[in-house]
Amino acid sequence: MTSTRTSQSMTDRSVNFQPAAPAVRAPSPYPPAGGGGTREAPSRRALARIPLLRTLRDGSGFDVVLVLCAVGYLLVFAAFPLAYTLVMSLQQVDMFSLASFDRPFAGLDNYRDVFSRPEALQILKNTVIFVVLSITFQLSIGFGLALFFQQPFPGATYIRGVFLAGWIMPALVVGAIWKWIFAGDFGVLNYLLTSLHLTGGKIFWLSDPDVALFAVIIANIWLGIPFNMILLSVGLAAIPRDLYEAAEIDGARAFRRFRHITLPLMRSTLGAVVALGIIFTLQQFDLIAALTQGGPANASNVAQYWSWQMSFQTYEISAGSVVAVLMIALVILVAALYVRSTEREHAA
Amino acid sequence: MRTAKPFILLGLALVFAAIYLFPLYWMYVTALKSSTEIFRFPPSFWPSDPQWQFGRIFAEHAMDRYLWNSLLIAVGTTALATLVGTGAAYALSRHRNAWTAVALFLVLMLQVLPPSLMVTPIFVAFNQVGLLETPRAAVVLAQTAKVLPLYIVLCRSTFLQVPRELEDAARVDGASRIGAFLRIMIPLARNGILVVSVLIFLQSFGEYVYSRSLIAAETLQTATVGLSSFMGPNTNDWGGIMTYAAIYVTPILVVFALLQRRIVSGLTAGALK
Repeated sequence: MTSTRTSQSMTDRSVNFQPAAPAVRAPSPYPPAGGGGTREAPSRRALARIPLLRTLRDGSGFDVVLVLCAVGYLLVFAAFPLAYTLVMSLQQVDMFSLASFDRPFAGLDNYRDVFSRPEALQILKNTVIFVVLSITFQLSIGFGLALFFQQPFPGATYIRGVFLAGWIMPALVVGAIWKWIFAGDFGVLNYLLTSLHLTGGKIFWLSDPDVALFAVIIANIWLGIPFNMILLSVGLAAIPRDLYEAAEIDGARAFRRFRHITLPLMRSTLGAVVALGIIFTLQQFDLIAALTQGGPANASNVAQYWSWQMSFQTYEISAGSVVAVLMIALVILVAALYVRSTEREHAA
Repeated sequence: MRTAKPFILLGLALVFAAIYLFPLYWMYVTALKSSTEIFRFPPSFWPSDPQWQFGRIFAEHAMDRYLWNSLLIAVGTTALATLVGTGAAYALSRHRNAWTAVALFLVLMLQVLPPSLMVTPIFVAFNQVGLLETPRAAVVLAQTAKVLPLYIVLCRSTFLQVPRELEDAARVDGASRIGAFLRIMIPLARNGILVVSVLIFLQSFGEYVYSRSLIAAETLQTATVGLSSFMGPNTNDWGGIMTYAAIYVTPILVVFALLQRRIVSGLTAGALK
C-alpha cells in the first residue's frame, strides 16, 4: 500500500495534477509538503532558489497575497473614503472647491455650524426614535415569530422561509409599495383602520408631520422582521431540547420555561441581533427616499438621510461630512462592541 | 385535541404569512387593476377587470435600459467581489492567528459603513480622479467595497467546511499552493461560493444610493433610480408604479425562492459566527 501510493504520487508530480484525484482518494496519512523537498522536479528546484517566489508558490506567502488583495481593495475603496470624510469635515468644501486638492481649513467650525442649525436637534431626536422603535418592534415581532415557528407542525420551515421575501426585495421597491399602502385618500391602510373603527378619520401618513416618522418606522419594521426572525430561530434551535423536557417534568409552565431557559440562553444571540439591528437601521436610506424624503419639514428626517441631502442636494459637502463622520463613528462603535462580544463567546 | 394541534398551528402560520406578505399581494393586485379601479374607495381586494399593462409600462418607461444598467452593475459587482474576495476568504479560513483576527476584524468593521454616508467622500474622490466619467464602473467599485466584507465572511465559512486533509493530500502529491487552491479548494467550495455570489448579485441588483448619487446621465441610470423618478412628487399613476415594481422584483423573488434555503443557511452561519 505504502509503495504504490509513493509511486503514484511521483507520477502525479511529473504529469499534470488531476483535479478529481483527491476527492476519490482517502486523506493522505503523510504530513503536508516539506518532506518531499529532495524529490522536487527541476523547475521547482529552480524556483526554490528565490525565497520570495517559493513562499508565494508553496508557503504562507500565498495566503498573505490573497488577503492583501482584498484588504488592499477595502483600504482603497472603504478605509480611504472614511479618512477622507474626516478630512473634509474639517475643510471648506462646496461646489467651487469640490475638484480642488487644496481647500481652506475650517477646523471645528463645520461641527459648530451643523449643531447650531435649527433642524439638528429634531433630526437627532428622530434618529433616536427611528432606531429605538424599529429595533424594539422588529425584535419582539421577530422573536415571537421565531418562537412560533419553533413548534413542530407541517410546513413550519417552509412557511418561515416565505417571510424572507420581504428581506430580499430592494428597499426602494418596498418603500414604493408602502407609499401606496399609506396613501391618504385611497390607501388600503386607512381603509382597514377605519373599517375596523380603530381611527376616526383618514390619517395622512406621509404628509402629516406628526405621523410621517412613524410611517417610515412601520415600513422599516416590516423590512427588518425576517432578518430578526431567522437569526433568532438559529439561536433557538441551538438550545438543547432536554433542558425544556427536564423543566416540564419539574412542572414549569411555558412562561417560566421561557423566562428561565430561553431568555438566559438567548442572551448572546439577542445582543448580536440588537447590534446588527442598530447597524442596519442606521444604514436605512432607500426607504426614506421612497416614502417621505425626510419631509414634511424634516419631520421624518434622520441623520443618514440628512447627511446625504446636504452633500447631494444643497452641496454643503463639509456639513454632510460632519454628520457622516459622527454617524460612522457611532456605527463602528456598535460594530466593535458586537464583534468583541462574539469573540469573547468563542473563547469561552 | 392532540392530533388537531399541528393543524391549528399550521392555520395560524398561514394567517401570519398572509398578513406579512400583504404588501406584496397589494403590489400585484394594484398592478392588475384599471386606472379607475385603483382610486375607488373602499378599495377592492381583487381586480374586477384585470388589466395586463406590463408590456406598456415596460416600453413607456424604458425599463429595458434601466434593467440592463442594473444588471451590468450587479454582474460587475459580483464578478469583482468574487475575484478579489474568494482568495481572501480561503486564506482567512486556513489560519487562526493574531494576523487573521486583525484582518477579519477590519473586514467586519468595514462591512457596517452606511452607503449613504460613504457616498459623500466616494463622490468627491471619484470626481477628483476622473472616475465619474465612467459612472457605472464607479458604482461597481463603490458597491463592491460595500458587499466585499459580507462576501468574505460568508465565503470563509464555506471554506471552513471543506476538509483540510483534501488540500494536504494534493500538496503531498506535488500540487503547488495555487494549484491546490484553484483545482481542489474552489471546486469543493463551489456550491457555497455560488450561493454567496447570488446573494451579492441580488443585493447589487437593488442598489440605490450609489447609482442615484454617482450616475448623472439618465441613460445610465438603474432600475431603482428609474422607479424613484417615476414616483416623483406629482404622480398619481399608482397602477403604473406597482406594475414597474412587479416587473422589477418578480425575477428577484423567483431566484430567491429557488435558492432560499441555501441562502438562509449561509447567511445565518456568517452572521452569528
